[in-house]
Amino acid sequence: MTVNRIYLLFLFLCSSLNIFGSAPANDTLAADFSHLPSGIDLRPYLFSIEDKGEHLTLKQVPAAEFSHNYLIFHEQRKNIGKEHNCWLKLHVKNTGQSDSALTFFAGWHDYMYWYIQDSSQQLHLLRQTGMMLDRDNVRRWEHYGFPITVPPGQTRTFFLHINNKIHNENALMPTLFNALQYEGFRSSQLEFYRKETVLVQVLLGMLLVCLAIAIINYIQLPDRSYLYFAAYMLGLILFFTLRLESKPYQLSVFYRWPMLKYYWDVPALLFCFYLMYLAFGNAFLNLQERYPFMEKLFNYVAAFIGAIILLCFYCIAMEQYHVPGMIYSYVYLATLLPLLVVFAALARRSRHHPLVRFFLFGSLCFYIACFGSFIMLVKPLGLISALGELSAPSLLIIAGVLLQSMFFLAGLSYRNKLVHNERTRTQEMLIKQLNKNKELQRKLNEQLEELVKEQTTEILRKKQELEEQRKIQLETEYDKKLTEIELKAIRAQINPHFIFNCLNSIQLFVMQRDYEYAQKYLSDFSYLIRKTLDFSRRNFISLADEIAYLNTYLGLEKMRFENKMEYEIVIDPVIATAELEVPAMLLQPYVENAVKYGMTNSSQAIGRLLIQFNQVAPDMLECLIEDNGIGINRSKTLRTLPKHHQSSGMEISFNRAELLNKMYNTGIHIYVIDKSENNNTESGTIVRILIPQL
Amino acid sequence: MIKAVIIDDERNSRDIISLMLEKYCPNVQIAATASDCAGGIETIRRHEPQLVFLDLEMPDGTGFDVLLGTQEIPPFEAVFVTAFEKKFLHTIRFSEVEIILKPIDRESLMAAVEKIASRIEAQASTYRYKVLLDNFNNGHNINMDLVIPAGGNEEHIISLNTIAFLEAGTEKCVFHLNDEQQLDAERSFRYYTDLFSTLRFFQINNHQMVQLSQISQVDAEHNRVSLKNGVKLEVAERRKKDLVSHWKQYK
Repeated sequence: MTVNRIYLLFLFLCSSLNIFGSAPANDTLAADFSHLPSGIDLRPYLFSIEDKGEHLTLKQVPAAEFSHNYLIFHEQRKNIGKEHNCWLKLHVKNTGQSDSALTFFAGWHDYMYWYIQDSSQQLHLLRQTGMMLDRDNVRRWEHYGFPITVPPGQTRTFFLHINNKIHNENALMPTLFNALQYEGFRSSQLEFYRKETVLVQVLLGMLLVCLAIAIINYIQLPDRSYLYFAAYMLGLILFFTLRLESKPYQLSVFYRWPMLKYYWDVPALLFCFYLMYLAFGNAFLNLQERYPFMEKLFNYVAAFIGAIILLCFYCIAMEQYHVPGMIYSYVYLATLLPLLVVFAALARRSRHHPLVRFFLFGSLCFYIACFGSFIMLVKPLGLISALGELSAPSLLIIAGVLLQSMFFLAGLSYRNKLVHNERTRTQEMLIKQLNKNKELQRKLNEQLEELVKEQTTEILRKKQELEEQRKIQLETEYDKKLTEIELKAIRAQINPHFIFNCLNSIQLFVMQRDYEYAQKYLSDFSYLIRKTLDFSRRNFISLADEIAYLNTYLGLEKMRFENKMEYEIVIDPVIATAELEVPAMLLQPYVENAVKYGMTNSSQAIGRLLIQFNQVAPDMLECLIEDNGIGINRSKTLRTLPKHHQSSGMEISFNRAELLNKMYNTGIHIYVIDKSENNNTESGTIVRILIPQL
Repeated sequence: MIKAVIIDDERNSRDIISLMLEKYCPNVQIAATASDCAGGIETIRRHEPQLVFLDLEMPDGTGFDVLLGTQEIPPFEAVFVTAFEKKFLHTIRFSEVEIILKPIDRESLMAAVEKIASRIEAQASTYRYKVLLDNFNNGHNINMDLVIPAGGNEEHIISLNTIAFLEAGTEKCVFHLNDEQQLDAERSFRYYTDLFSTLRFFQINNHQMVQLSQISQVDAEHNRVSLKNGVKLEVAERRKKDLVSHWKQYK
């Protein structure tokens, strides 16, 4: 801005100097229109006035103070940094004879109005044209040569109002041509711009091809990166097509909308080389997965660029044409280094990925082309002008664009190939996997079948084993129970007290030298022991044996108790004692109990024991063991032993009966009756044992 | 002379005891006899004997009832005479009260009388009878007290459940208690292993028997057993399996 201001100041100074130092001799161009020297430089004959802010009205202009100012003229395009609104005044005197027309040419400017002053100092508009104004087709380029017709010998005054909105002003070099000269000038211009146009058209063709390829590919393989590439191509095509608009004498497409080329100038560059470029890079390199940070960065920058594009549109609509140019320059300079860093980061991050290579090569081509073009422009135009001209496509940039497009397109194709390969491989793998699965399934089925077979046999084997085991277990349990019962039988039947007490008695008889008694006692005792041993091995014995055993036992007891007891065994004569079988020593414990408790009655000096065998039914033997003791109920209350020492003789007997019933299904019933329950005068216990006969 | 009383429900028994005493133990004088508990208690109260021969089972009670009935009179020594001791085996043996089995043989009778004579002479403690009655009333084997004869008329009285393990010494048995105290008994290791065999004890090798409740851990791999008081003992290979099963059952 400071530079601009100084520049303005300088311009002002120059113009003020010129006001005073202008030569009035050149006020009027006096020329023989018929014999005009070639291409008269009109600068010395032109008076000019700057009209900043467009205050001058048509009425004021003739009266305004015009002056000579060479500084407003320039042969090249020039960045004047502001809009330029000026009036030029030309007095022409035809010194010749004929009134042939001359052509006044002052360059290609945005708005141009050609006036003639009549005698009453009024301005009449002869023609208007301009880059931003003229909608004619190729004919519009003829409008820039303004006709000057002056009758011979007369003087006319013409005014040219030039209004340049663009800060880059096209060459402003007023020249006067006659018809022939103008024709020559026109064809040289046509020739000159044709070169550029052809170049642009070739480029357009190539870009169109790229676009077509992108679209076709997108249809075949809907991939977002194709869309971005297509948008980038389309933007470029539009940009270059609009470039044709400002090529003099060339055919153009969008001549009906002269403003379009301004709108799609800087925004097009931002759109193509930043917005679409970033979006394309994002999708093409699949940064979202490969480099999330870079993806975020790309997205933010793209959004920012989008906002800038909108801002540019707004500025153009507000006729601030220099602002987008400045913005673009700043964006360009600001992104020069970061872009390099991004390239380096991308290259490092995915060094060996071919897609990155394509992207990087394309980007670098364009980057170098841009930078090269910028450097080349700096030399002839100076830094500021070069910045202003950044958006102008040079040959180098066009080459860069082409290369970039090629690389990108090639990358896209490669990507297609990769996708295709991937798909093929996936399919192959799928097929392989499917085959493998099939094989696996088959194997598994076989294995499963085998396993089931094995397991079934195993289960059967286990079952059998288990059954055998259970059988064995049952048998052992049974055996165990049996031995237990047998043992219990022995234990229950031979009371060790009885044995040792007997021996004690025998010992006494020996010591007392009562040998006869001792011998009888001893033989009875031996008999009893022998029978006990014998019976304990058998389960059933004859009733006769049982009775003999009881007899011997009771005899020994009687001997021990010094005849303090009596006993009697009564047998029903119908009973065949030798043939009848009873469980071995079933009765002995009850008899022993009867002896024990029969002796405890203090009111009865002699314990009486009665054992009866009766046939109560044809198949039922009844055995009654009766004593005259205190009775089972009272004897239970008499016990003084603590619970844990209580004798269990009777319980054992009951258990035995139960076990016998279980084992032999004998159905033996045992009842213990206290005599006092029926008759108060009597005392004692009756044990009633019912033994069914088979 | 030692003044004695015989209490037995069988006359044959009474006769042979007195006959044998007369013959082999002249220092014992039979003051009286009785044939049942009630009569026995009365006879003892009347005669205040120094020694009582006591039958275990009588029609109206046991020998313990006689002792319980005579607790208030001056203490006397007792010898149990029984045909079959199994029912009261631990009760009697734990208290080290003398017992003679029928038929009576001369040697055991003489040994018992001699021991009692020396006790009477030394006016030794009769605490054993209190232990006997306590054991009889408490009943449950593992809560019983144990009298350990320590030579002479000395003896220790311990609770059975304080025993960690027993060990065979030279002609003696060494009791290791759970507080790591050691007591020597005037009886053989063998005597105690037989006596404890039906209780919760287990002989882990030829010379050691442990109380199962004192075991904290059985290391079957290294044939070792750790006791709760920290002592580690070795287990004989062939007894290992039984030990583990016994211990598990106990736990």
